Amino acid sequence: MLKRIAGLALVLLTATSLFAQEASDLDRRLRALEEAVARLQPTQEVAELRRQIEVLSQEIESLKTRQQDDTSVAADTQQQGLGAAASKVYRVDQGISFGGYGEMLYENYAASSDAGVRTTTKDKFDMLRGVLYTGYKYNDRVLFNSEIEFEHGNTALGGEASVEFAYLDFLATRNVGVRTGLLLIPMGLVNEMHEPTTYLTARRSTVENAIIPTTWREMGAGVFGEHGPVSWRAYAVNSIRGDRFTSGGVRGGRQKGANSQIENIALTGRVDYAPFEGTVVGGSFFSGNTGQGNAVNGNEVDGNLTIFDLHGEAKFRGATVRALWAQATIDDVVELNALSSLTGNRSIGEELGGWYVEAGYDLSSLVPRFGESSLTPYLRYEQLDTQRSVPTGFSRNPASEQTIFTLGLQFRPVPQTVIKADYQNSDNEAGTGLDQWNIGIGYIF
Amino acid sequence: MTQQQALASAFPAGTRVTRQAVFLTPEQASAAKKESGLEFNDRMIVRYTGVAGDRLLGYAYFDTHRVRTLPETIMVVITPEGTLGKIEILSFDEPPEYLPKPRWIDQFKRRRLDDDLSLKRAIRPISGASLSGRAIVNASRKVLALHRIIGGK
Repeated sequence: MLKRIAGLALVLLTATSLFAQEASDLDRRLRALEEAVARLQPTQEVAELRRQIEVLSQEIESLKTRQQDDTSVAADTQQQGLGAAASKVYRVDQGISFGGYGEMLYENYAASSDAGVRTTTKDKFDMLRGVLYTGYKYNDRVLFNSEIEFEHGNTALGGEASVEFAYLDFLATRNVGVRTGLLLIPMGLVNEMHEPTTYLTARRSTVENAIIPTTWREMGAGVFGEHGPVSWRAYAVNSIRGDRFTSGGVRGGRQKGANSQIENIALTGRVDYAPFEGTVVGGSFFSGNTGQGNAVNGNEVDGNLTIFDLHGEAKFRGATVRALWAQATIDDVVELNALSSLTGNRSIGEELGGWYVEAGYDLSSLVPRFGESSLTPYLRYEQLDTQRSVPTGFSRNPASEQTIFTLGLQFRPVPQTVIKADYQNSDNEAGTGLDQWNIGIGYIF
Repeated sequence: MTQQQALASAFPAGTRVTRQAVFLTPEQASAAKKESGLEFNDRMIVRYTGVAGDRLLGYAYFDTHRVRTLPETIMVVITPEGTLGKIEILSFDEPPEYLPKPRWIDQFKRRRLDDDLSLKRAIRPISGASLSGRAIVNASRKVLALHRIIGGK
């Protein structure tokens, strides 16, 4: 009996031991499973985090590229063959654009003229111009552009506030359009591109002041366009006023859109050819009568004015070269002189013209990765004569025949700002040329 | 032009285009700035890789930056060799006369990130629109530097 009990106890003990071992194994396996589950949980979180990061990256990309709506660019992969109905990257198809530029000019004149005559011309430091640019793009086909200019700091002290240009463009195609409003006459190198960062010197070229009266704008309409390397503009505008011409040129005849007389209409245009990037050559013209209905001795004055110019510009690897030749002819100068009571050597020129060449070299281009700043020595040589010929009965003023040599240096801390310093040697046939040195400060934004 | 249209112009039909967002480490951002010679704050870069079959066609990046006072968005395509391929202007908010012409943009083709990729050197400036030209030169330098830091596929 005892033997049987002992046997049973042994069996129970063994069974219990086996059960305990199995339970322990089960427990271990359960714990392993729990650990696996525990490990699984963070993995799901990581997956969710990855998904969220992907969504956020898409949102950030949309903000950075300013897409208006979901671009439907899938988060992971995408096959091409895309439809055109996708949402657009935001464009200012509608909206205002804004900018501006300005110039300050210090002029220090020599104490005496080339002939040694002491002068009373006072040195000047002028807020030459501050210009605000505004535009409005109604849609891809219609836009408005304008510049509002303030000159010489204060309108109560001789300054001016002017609309420099204001026009509407109607684009027929991407490359051809119609333009109307107060238009910049498309002549020369400076008239249309006159921001201080676009030319080298502290003062604009005298040729593009006296022969082409920059900044020249008149009311009118015309067409513009480009085809490959050729661009062109052709406008019909109110002509200028011959009764305001002087021996110094036609500058006074500009009407600037201020109740412009339009008894005479002029044609103006230009063609430019860019054989390769950075280089352009071209020509432009302006032609029209300037009498504006005025009469002398009962006869209406025609006073035809025709101006031509040839110009070119090349920029490459720090070097800039610009050149321009311009010539103007004026008919009926005797009558125009009579309109303005001009006599003797104060006559308007029947023929006037000039040319200049200027060059500069950005020294910073010699230093790889110099940065945005630049340092450019430059020079310009120009000759002009606003009275190459005058009518019989009048005489030339030798002071109208000028030669100006400019030597200077410009520094741009950033490309949108410039400080220029130059010396100008001005000669004329009368010996009254007055040398000066200038400091120009310019900015655009 | 939409982003999808730009990508469609960058890679031929049938190309498998994969979008990848890359988060730069501070070291990578610093290296990209040094290589490009530019200051920028981008930390997340998205690139699209075009593959036809098993052949890599290139990478497309989008960059939005200010031109004068208003922004433009361009797509810069990098070839498998790491040179500039196509550059496409998706949006340009400045007045149209400042818009770089396709012929000017052609100057960038096959250019690498080197000292010559500069308006002061091999890239001829745009007359009267120097800020437009500078914006694209800088964006190209930035994308090339980022691509070099991120590495190819």
